[in-house]
Amino acid sequence: MSNSTDKTNPAEQPQQKPQVLEEDDEFEDFPVEDWSQEDAEQSAANGGNEHLWEESWDDDDAAEDFSKQLKEELKKVEAST
Amino acid sequence: MFDLDSRAISVSASQANRVRLTMSGTLLNDFIAAHLYESGPRLATVFTPDIYNDNLQTFHELFEPIGLPDDLRDKVFLPNKKQLKVSKAEQKVWVEVFVEYWKAVNELFMYQNRQPGASAVVIFNAWKKFVNVLIRGYSSPSSFPAWTLPCLYISGKYLRVFAIKADAEVVSQGSASFGFQDDLAADFEKNGNLEEAARIMNRMFTLCLSDRAPIEDSRKWGIYNTTNLLFKTYFKINSVGLTKNLLRAINAQSHDLPRLEAFPKSHIVTFEYYVGVIHFLDENYIEAEKHLTSAWRMCHRQALKNRELILTYLIPCHLVTTHTLPSPRLLAQFPRLEEFFRPLSNCIRKGDLVGFDRAMTAGEEEFVKRRIYLPLERGRDIALRNLFRKVFIAGGFEEAKDGQPPIRRTRVPVAEFAAALRIGTHATARTRVDTDEVECLLANLIYKGLMKGYIARERGIVVLSKNNSAFPGTGV
Amino acid sequence: MSSSIPPWRATASVHSAPTAFPTSATPAYIPVQARRSLNHNKPTYPTTNGTTNQNPSSPADAAQPRVAFPPPVRSYVQRCFAPENEIPSVGNTEMQEKLRQVITDAAESGRLHTIDWDKLQLPQVMIQNERNKILANPSVSSWAGTSQPSSPADASRKRKSTDNLDPSGSASPPWRKTNNRNRFEDRVTYPTTGKKNHIKLDESSKSKANLEMRRRRFEGAGVNYGNPSTSSPIDSPRPEVDQGPVVGRSPTLEKNYFRLTSAPNPDTVRPLPVLKKTLDLLKKKWKKEGNYGYICDQFKSLRQDLTVQHIRNEFTVNVYEIHARIALEKGDLGEYNQCQTQLRVLYAQKLGGNPTEFKAYRILYFIYTRNWTAMNDALADVTAEDKKDLAVKHALDVRSALALGNYHRFFSLYLDTPNMGAYLMDMFVDRERLSALAAICRAYKPDVQIRFITEELGFESDEQAARFVLEQSSPELLEEKQGTVKLLTGKAGLLFENAKAEAHRVVDIKGQI
Repeated sequence: MSNSTDKTNPAEQPQQKPQVLEEDDEFEDFPVEDWSQEDAEQSAANGGNEHLWEESWDDDDAAEDFSKQLKEELKKVEAST
Repeated sequence: MFDLDSRAISVSASQANRVRLTMSGTLLNDFIAAHLYESGPRLATVFTPDIYNDNLQTFHELFEPIGLPDDLRDKVFLPNKKQLKVSKAEQKVWVEVFVEYWKAVNELFMYQNRQPGASAVVIFNAWKKFVNVLIRGYSSPSSFPAWTLPCLYISGKYLRVFAIKADAEVVSQGSASFGFQDDLAADFEKNGNLEEAARIMNRMFTLCLSDRAPIEDSRKWGIYNTTNLLFKTYFKINSVGLTKNLLRAINAQSHDLPRLEAFPKSHIVTFEYYVGVIHFLDENYIEAEKHLTSAWRMCHRQALKNRELILTYLIPCHLVTTHTLPSPRLLAQFPRLEEFFRPLSNCIRKGDLVGFDRAMTAGEEEFVKRRIYLPLERGRDIALRNLFRKVFIAGGFEEAKDGQPPIRRTRVPVAEFAAALRIGTHATARTRVDTDEVECLLANLIYKGLMKGYIARERGIVVLSKNNSAFPGTGV
Repeated sequence: MSSSIPPWRATASVHSAPTAFPTSATPAYIPVQARRSLNHNKPTYPTTNGTTNQNPSSPADAAQPRVAFPPPVRSYVQRCFAPENEIPSVGNTEMQEKLRQVITDAAESGRLHTIDWDKLQLPQVMIQNERNKILANPSVSSWAGTSQPSSPADASRKRKSTDNLDPSGSASPPWRKTNNRNRFEDRVTYPTTGKKNHIKLDESSKSKANLEMRRRRFEGAGVNYGNPSTSSPIDSPRPEVDQGPVVGRSPTLEKNYFRLTSAPNPDTVRPLPVLKKTLDLLKKKWKKEGNYGYICDQFKSLRQDLTVQHIRNEFTVNVYEIHARIALEKGDLGEYNQCQTQLRVLYAQKLGGNPTEFKAYRILYFIYTRNWTAMNDALADVTAEDKKDLAVKHALDVRSALALGNYHRFFSLYLDTPNMGAYLMDMFVDRERLSALAAICRAYKPDVQIRFITEELGFESDEQAARFVLEQSSPELLEEKQGTVKLLTGKAGLLFENAKAEAHRVVDIKGQI
């Protein structure tokens, strides 16, 4: 988009932002053409996807706190109506 | 390699001498050896324009275009005519290839030495001629054999590199060409050379895809690599839409192509990555995840940068499709990804809407740049779900009826969700949370399947599903 | 394939890379020896730039790929000659000439396999469209696609190469026969260039009662439009050479638009002072006559004259902005989009105008076309400074409300839209009403009052809301009880879901890049 020849003062630089889009977004050529499955991300040694994603997202430790907080908030609302 | 800003190299006479004595003709010897062993990769090294490569320097200094045809005949083809299976017709094209290659390389050295008249545009044009001759080698009746394909690839790869340099030069000099089209058509100005390169690569693409030779000697083996070059190029000129034409063409020929797994992994990982990103950009996250996962699994473990790129898209995909977050262990391997995703993940987990919005704002520039802003934004629904889930848990259990296991309270006043929202958004005493908006958010979660139940508007309550399915997939 | 060192460690530096293969240690061939002494250190050979050489190959005659016409091309040709596709006013010779041109172009540019021949206009249609264009009937905007025939609209199907038969069993690429594994890949650091948008849309004008209403609402408001809009062929052919700017000398204010196929004649090009008068004239005429067809054509020639003379200044911006506003007002989004694309370029050069107003439109426009890639670019264009602008902020809020399905917020924003953004929002507000109804019907049981729908979905009255519901579903969904009308959400089933899908599908087809 922006033409790098434009003569803007540095104060207006934000306009330049999109210029750097995709800067290092490019997928690199691999230095070798092929490799064995052992060298691949998912090798036998490496198991499947198990450790990629978080299974437990819950933080129930804070459940008590939240319960209190909620009650207080409800009181406030009731008081104001 | 071709680095405009690094110190100019100049080979002194004595250096040149030494080089000649020890390595004379190595490039041509490589050419012979490549043919002898039918080694495409070796052939590709011959045509890799690495100006820091001594062999290339020697080649450049020892030969000149006028003499090249005789040299090649006398030194390469005639003496080795028994060993080399190179037809007369092929020889003729190879001679032209070498001549154009020499000229392009000459421009590179001129540029590197900052000689007058040298420019990135001139290099690009010279390289283009070289590529065109090479392409002719594959189009003529006595075509170059398919094992030479890596050499076609390398020519395309540098065509792209030089085109990008040339475009940058054009832009920096403000010398963009202006046609007589109706509009300003800035694309032509900014990416003119790269677009031209794309058209040439498109010919390579057709050359590979339409080859009818038996598969073991078919240019079809070059299809994914060529496609990858075009993918990269279309992404660069921001014409991602054009990638679909390629996919359509490949798809139409798929019955004639070798199995995907038969190709070298580097071709396939790159291909799968781009196909994944293409779907990703169309918000087709399920399909995107399939391809990205495949790229992830096959990717070389040491290719850190590429693994990071794959995850950059795979993580948002996964968030959208399965509502799960990347594990800390995964993020720990990639500091940049950790920086991107850790704060968001934490807020999503806690149902902290304000924190989520802040993290989105903080990362906005990077996210937009990586084109992951839009899917990440959907994480807000998950944060909201987690917040509302806490309301459900805080509601506790109904009185257990004679010996039955306790059941959670499933009728929850909308007011409680509203209060939770006040907490989640750090509302002050004076901020109003509109009940209609709370209902709207609830309706959305229900509609999207993140909550199960219904809103009874007249009664001001939400009736949630029993049997541990009020918030599917979260255990309650 | 069992090298124990990761290859990139060994060869990380290209600069020093010796070849990965044994050099001439054991030649099975006759190696090349140094042939002549080197008299010169510096290459003196002339540059490639045409100054050289006895070498006759030029890229043009080089490389004519083997042409085997794929079946879609053949069937395209057949269709050209089918009697039912004949257009009486287009002669056979003329058609064949065009056909040859189309195919030659495709072959030469290597696009034989990439063009979607099934969708490509037939040559007779192209000719007819060209004529229509020349007849200066700007309402014909069927140009799109004549020179960019391959429509990506019907996106990629899923590749299924994995379940293919592999003709030669354990095949491997031919270059690996000798198991020479290689490192033909080098690392390159690619420089970056800025990015650019390629949006090419063809939206035929959509006339909606709604729009007309909106227009009236806007009339008299101080919106600074007064001009016609012109459309230009969506795909101009790439210019062969830089022609240099033309200096016009035509004194005539009005001029019909013709698509240029060669350098323009200065006698027919108006210089800037004349063009300024032209703009004034067009504004007056638009206010007085409101003849969109005429105005569109005139603006197109105005734009063309600016372009061929390389005039890029505030006046240029002004022309495009006025044109864009008129197109918006008339719901001619194809035309509008062309102006918007050009404006983006002009704003980047800081020539003045109203960049935030149009950045906001752009965001709304991509909501309508559901072009997420372009939306991402539009977001990238928004600076922190821009976000302080009311219109930009509004558009961003609209976008995020929709992204999260927050119809409550969306419709309150809808009722409070700055500038001419409402023309754009009108294009998708009904679609979003259907989305909201789909969610509401899924989430609320057993019913909601129609008043709730009216308020939540930005209708002007309960009647309007009820009518909308009825148009999209069936009368059984509305029920009157004790003086209030209720929407029986529990009975809606997938009615709105389907209507929603339908409404979004339509835009998908028209709106893709």
